[in-house]
Amino acid sequence: MTFAARARDAIGNHQLHVALDRTTATFGTRRFAAIASLDHFETVRDRARAAKMHVLRTLGDSLQRFEQQLIANGVQVHWAENGDAANRIIVEIATGAGVRRVAKSKSMVSEETHLNHALEAAGIAVIETDLGEYIVQLAKDRPSHIIAPIVHMTREQVGRLMHERLQVPYSDDTETLARYARERLRAAFLRADMGITGANFGVVENGAICLVTNEGNGRMVTTLPRVHVVMMGIEKLVPTMADLDRFLKLLARSATGQKLTAYTTLLRGPRRTGEDGGPDDMHVVILDNGRSSILAGETAEILGCIRCGACLNACPVYKNIGGHAYGAVYMGPVGAIVTPGIRGIEQAAELPGASSLCGACREVCPIRLDIPRMLLALRSAAVRLTPQPIALRLGLKAFARIASRPSVYRAAMSAMRRVLRARARDGWITRAPGLAAGWTRFRDFKAPAAQTFEQQWRARSTARRSS
Amino acid sequence: MARPVDCEEIVVSDARTAILDRIDRALKTARIPVVSAGARGVQPGEFGPSGTLIDRFVAEARALGVEAFVEGSPDAVRARLALLTDGRRVLAWNPDRLPYGADAVVSGAARGSSPRDEQAAADVGVTGCHGAIAETGSLALLSLPGCPRAASLLPPLHVALVRPDNFFFGMGDFFEARTDQIAAASNCTFVTGPSRTADIELSLTIGVHGPARVIVIVGP
Repeated sequence: MTFAARARDAIGNHQLHVALDRTTATFGTRRFAAIASLDHFETVRDRARAAKMHVLRTLGDSLQRFEQQLIANGVQVHWAENGDAANRIIVEIATGAGVRRVAKSKSMVSEETHLNHALEAAGIAVIETDLGEYIVQLAKDRPSHIIAPIVHMTREQVGRLMHERLQVPYSDDTETLARYARERLRAAFLRADMGITGANFGVVENGAICLVTNEGNGRMVTTLPRVHVVMMGIEKLVPTMADLDRFLKLLARSATGQKLTAYTTLLRGPRRTGEDGGPDDMHVVILDNGRSSILAGETAEILGCIRCGACLNACPVYKNIGGHAYGAVYMGPVGAIVTPGIRGIEQAAELPGASSLCGACREVCPIRLDIPRMLLALRSAAVRLTPQPIALRLGLKAFARIASRPSVYRAAMSAMRRVLRARARDGWITRAPGLAAGWTRFRDFKAPAAQTFEQQWRARSTARRSS
Repeated sequence: MARPVDCEEIVVSDARTAILDRIDRALKTARIPVVSAGARGVQPGEFGPSGTLIDRFVAEARALGVEAFVEGSPDAVRARLALLTDGRRVLAWNPDRLPYGADAVVSGAARGSSPRDEQAAADVGVTGCHGAIAETGSLALLSLPGCPRAASLLPPLHVALVRPDNFFFGMGDFFEARTDQIAAASNCTFVTGPSRTADIELSLTIGVHGPARVIVIVGP
């Protein structure tokens, strides 16, 4: 199914619209209130952006220094060029340690590599422990938002799902539904041999892995099981603890509109002598999977993304089609850049087009990533890749000739205006012939004004001069 | 000096070399915006506190649903703690880790060294803290010996005892002032209100996996 087909389905899905309207509006309002609560918000943003761009510019060195710190903290470090390699490494760690049950905290990168399939294929049971991800797993569905995986589901749907899969009485009360999940997951935490997490940040100067969760599942899976594995992309680094402080100020505010997530955890290796709780062994798998090729090009900046999801909530396209239509792990404006980067532009050529280039994403991005610029760069790469229809190429050539000759341009515009005005009914053109039907099939076209902008401008300046 | 190298190590180091090589090559063509260098290297705490730290902490914590009590004497702290733990199963930090002689109140408690079943069955977790962050109403807890992580995680109620010298304005101030102590622990956790989720229709639900109730007692 193409992106256009998935998007069309999504636009026709009324229930999805209700869910999306509620979510994106709520997140948007909360974010606005939360950034107002931070003094010098813009300064913090500038510094966070500078720190991320610095890490990217020194990525090789930063990774090696980070690795040294991890080793000094007693962490075992692994490198994986692609998703399969990362999965293989984690399956090997698990089988080597005699692991039978894995409890996972929410991790986008493990979705990217399909880690759960790999573990299950090796006979290891995996349970997702973030409430939303747990429901996604029960429903054999996919997350539709970076930080709110089941925004596309109503509470009634969740209630029916739990009733079917968990043999519990049906309920549409969110407290009850959360309790059902808690009871099952508590047992899973206590029995798991291995915890798997992503990383929100890795601190170069001391090798700390920073994890944030609201539910506490991130703490559970890094405290109770005897092995902890972190899977992280090469781009997750921040230079210092002072930088980390700034990123944490931005992350929760931009994501959920909280000042800070309920639990912010810094992990510095396995349990130490005299400590109670924490794993015997801690592993970090550092994953490339296409990120170094993103780094090589026009969209390198996107590697500064901290996955807050603010650009999704602001995007008029995401707001109308939701996350599934993007057909990939990462959705919305950030997904439209990351997905072509990971899969290759030829595999995702439509995604950069899924934007009106209105710039709302850049406006809300805590790292001020220039998302519209990157989308344009990818569009131009996609165009160079696929031969365009002859009519379009000739049309653009003709337009270039006309537009670069003012007198011809004026004559053409005046002719075009007359044609369009003649076709208009009540100020709108609803049907057009030939290629132009591509526009009017989905939307009406406003009839042009009686006078061109240039004519109006000239009339105004004349009037002003004479007054 | 030569030493035997097993296959797995070779595979791993190959990936490492390949990734680092690709990054080096990528950096030759990468388009990374230049951001003015002056924007880096500023110290934490740069934006300073407003109002007293305790007042701000209590206000922020209460806004998150934390119950906060400020007590005037060690006796009052112990009395408050006794009210909260009386007749309930307690999981606590070790005696020498609890301030205000609070251990006398919870002397029969399970500790980090107790069997896990016993820890998981506790009704109340009693802890001190290593930092209290006024800006966000957060408690900083380090996993030092005698300070089990489970006490602030497994029971449905977490009671934390806070001393006046625990307060910092921002997290960055805590990082700077307590660098060595933080480095000594494998785990540093900031608890900011009770466990929560909004995954179902964005409706706030308190108490998912961590404690549903957090109570802070600030002593003299």
